[in-house]
Amino acid sequence: MLVIIVGAGKLGYKIAEAFSQEDNNLIVIDSNPEVLERVANSLDALTIKGNGLDISILKQADITKCDLLIAVTSNDEVNILVSTIAKKLGCKKVIARIRNPEYASQVGFIQEQMEIDFVANPDWEMAREVAKYLLESSALHMGDYAEGRVVMDDFRVHELEGYGGKTLRDIQFPQGVLVAAVLRDNQLIIPHGDIELADSDVIYMIGTKEGMEKMPETVKDDASRLVRSAMILGGGRVSYHLARLLLQNGVAVKIIEQDQERCDFLAENLRKALIIRGDVTDMNLLTEENLAEVDALVSLTGFDEENILLALSAQQFQIPKVIAKVSRPNYVPIIEQLGVNVVNPILIMASEILRYIQGGRVVSVSLLLGGEAEVLEIIAQPQTRVVGKPLKDIGLPKGIIIGSLVHNGQVVIPHGDTVIEPEDRMIVFCIKSELVAIKKYFYQPTRGFLSELWNRD
Amino acid sequence: MNYGIVIRILGNLLFFVALAMLFPLGIAFFTNGPDTMAFAYSILLTCVVGLLMSLFPERSQKIRAREALAIVTFGWILAAIFGAFPFLFSGAATSVVDAFFESMSGLTTTGSTILNNLELMPQGILFWRSLTHWLGGMGILVLTLAILPLLGVGGFQIYKAETPGPLADKLVPRMKDTAKILYLVYGGLTLIQTLLLLAGGMNLYQAVVHAFSTVGTGGFSPYTASVGFFNSAYIHYIIAFFMLISGINFSLFYEAYKKRFRDIWTNSELRLYLGIILICTLVITLALLHSSVYQSVIETVRHAFFQVVSFITTTGFTTTNYENWPAFCKTILFFLMFVGGSAGSTAGSIKIIRLLLVLKLVRREIGRILHPRAHIPIQLNGKVVGNDVAISVISFYGLYIFLFVIASILLSIEGIGFLSATSAAAAALGNVGIGFEFIGPTQTFSAFSASSKLLLTFLMLLGRLELFTVFLLFVPSFWRD
Repeated sequence: MLVIIVGAGKLGYKIAEAFSQEDNNLIVIDSNPEVLERVANSLDALTIKGNGLDISILKQADITKCDLLIAVTSNDEVNILVSTIAKKLGCKKVIARIRNPEYASQVGFIQEQMEIDFVANPDWEMAREVAKYLLESSALHMGDYAEGRVVMDDFRVHELEGYGGKTLRDIQFPQGVLVAAVLRDNQLIIPHGDIELADSDVIYMIGTKEGMEKMPETVKDDASRLVRSAMILGGGRVSYHLARLLLQNGVAVKIIEQDQERCDFLAENLRKALIIRGDVTDMNLLTEENLAEVDALVSLTGFDEENILLALSAQQFQIPKVIAKVSRPNYVPIIEQLGVNVVNPILIMASEILRYIQGGRVVSVSLLLGGEAEVLEIIAQPQTRVVGKPLKDIGLPKGIIIGSLVHNGQVVIPHGDTVIEPEDRMIVFCIKSELVAIKKYFYQPTRGFLSELWNRD
Repeated sequence: MNYGIVIRILGNLLFFVALAMLFPLGIAFFTNGPDTMAFAYSILLTCVVGLLMSLFPERSQKIRAREALAIVTFGWILAAIFGAFPFLFSGAATSVVDAFFESMSGLTTTGSTILNNLELMPQGILFWRSLTHWLGGMGILVLTLAILPLLGVGGFQIYKAETPGPLADKLVPRMKDTAKILYLVYGGLTLIQTLLLLAGGMNLYQAVVHAFSTVGTGGFSPYTASVGFFNSAYIHYIIAFFMLISGINFSLFYEAYKKRFRDIWTNSELRLYLGIILICTLVITLALLHSSVYQSVIETVRHAFFQVVSFITTTGFTTTNYENWPAFCKTILFFLMFVGGSAGSTAGSIKIIRLLLVLKLVRREIGRILHPRAHIPIQLNGKVVGNDVAISVISFYGLYIFLFVIASILLSIEGIGFLSATSAAAAALGNVGIGFEFIGPTQTFSAFSASSKLLLTFLMLLGRLELFTVFLLFVPSFWRD
């Protein structure tokens, strides 16, 4: 597949990274030679310096044969125009990032008129993700699969009673759960039975919702408590979307924002919210505004450092739900080890776009741990490698784990003798380096030995 | 430094070397040559060492810039060492240094030889010499990239380090496909030339050997008289034409395939390259006619053109003994050794693109005297070239000249003349392979002392990998993490 990405910012890079792992031809266009050099040196992609609006540049990138163009420059209008031009030039599918909330009401119109296949709005997606966590009692970023019957969750080993210092084989796990990966020293490990858990490890588990609730957690996430009030730090676009969603669900919202004009805008558009003008880092102001009593604190300022520090200080106040926005994907695993819930706009967006592209066969995709791993929900297709044989005979690579299986509406935790049948819903955990193999085992019909050799990659 | 992955990939590389040796083995076997067992032993040895190395455990698959550079430099040294075994085992080379010299000279497409009696050498050995040219021309590691998919991102670093020129760019998004396209062009050129040479009356063996040496711009010929052995204007022109083609940036052939003829026509490097060849041929022809070295004008043009192309593309084929030419012509040839072909070609030496950039920088400096505050970015084919590239080009020039001077001085310890020492240094550093007087077209390098031969070998490697890559290994922090 030929994929062109216009704009190599944080999001553009993350998407490029996800695509370069799979079997794609990737071209990245940006006008800044420095970011292009970063792409060229760390991804197997062709870089073209220039303006994506320049038709000669697009033609140089073989736009007529292009399967997918993703416009993620910092400018909405450029993104719209690039994707429209690309479509007219014969690109099969185009995706544009549009983030200005003022366009939000007319996104449908723009999408239809400009022939854009998918409009990505990271601020909206992120707000939705945070709202989902706050309103429902599900785990953040660790998705729900198979309509919520299968969940993925992370546990810090020191919070699990009697897990530290034991090997996986010796631990009595609740029925219906499976350890997918262990995060140790910022490295994702695919575990085997003999691995000994250390207190500093984080384990990622897949399993039935019932099984997951039986995990012996000492520090119970007070997730079941209903959120009635929330404090949002920073009044940017995400805060705006989030506040609207929360208000619709009857949550009392306080937004702290420093900029006068922004406060005016928020007050005008969010009539029910309480807008407080002030410095978010001013702890006195926050305590005065009853920080200790809110059910949720969401830190969404433009600075990762500020968000992290604010979230860490809020931990002292025992606020049930604390979330920090961290835009640099590389930080995410480190911060999560500190016990802070993190939302990352880049990862959310990249997941969203990937899910759109993977299309029908894949029900949902989540990027985990700064993109180090993906969880895919795939419906088994007839005549693929995974179907019809006991799992132990398929020879799946070590980095791919079929975490759960929904067979005739029943959730099954698969073992070596399980045979997958077509139309089964699989929740597959996969580390980055094995993504290419997903296609081979889950999508490609089995063919002869020769074509196998020929298509070897 | 991630030694594991470096050693493993070098092990894979040795398999390729062993694989390549199967061809001369076949020839030796079918001609009943005395070198059959030499190749068999060499293949066995290379395979065993390659196997041991490729079993080396690695910590991670990650190839950073430093691993890539280590792979390139050591890859070349290893390939030269194992490529030397056939020369040693067959007795063609009388000492280890001689064998290593011949092998390195082949791989770096230099074409200097230590073999004094080519006509007595077995055909397998002669074929192997030319095959090393072909392998080294486009880059033995780029060949590995085309076939082995395991070097995803690190591949680009390797490609950058091995492909000549200051600005290496991919043709298509994936490194593996880029390498495949380059080798397709390369193989295609070799095939066409072979067919054309066959049509000119060569037998298959002669045609293939000469095509390998031409397209790789190497210069090994199975005959002492080089291309002059064939008394055919047609063959001379075909070889000259393909030397010229091989000195052109290979990405332009891809542009031609994509029908972007405008880009090719306006390519300033190509224009300068063809311009220099045209002017030098013209001037040398006039000078030769003036002193009436040859009988006819046509013959004069042919020899002038052939020698000019051979020197500028750093091939080192000859059709005539240019030592008999007037000093004026020889001086031009001498300095052509410092020009070289285009970036991204198989030619060696400094390269046209650097000459072009330096000329542009000089023009800018002169312009700045008039308008001290003028902002004049250096442009190449309508695109601005950053100052960092300009600085790297100038430092390359400086280092090149510096190495040339030091090497010339060291070589003159041998007691050979000034022109012999300087042209030997230039021939090795620029991968030309031939020079003047002591190493003239009828001479070989066998008379040099072992230490001088090792120095020349080192210069060849430096020249082929464009200096910096090799020097990086002498920086202590390169080895520490």
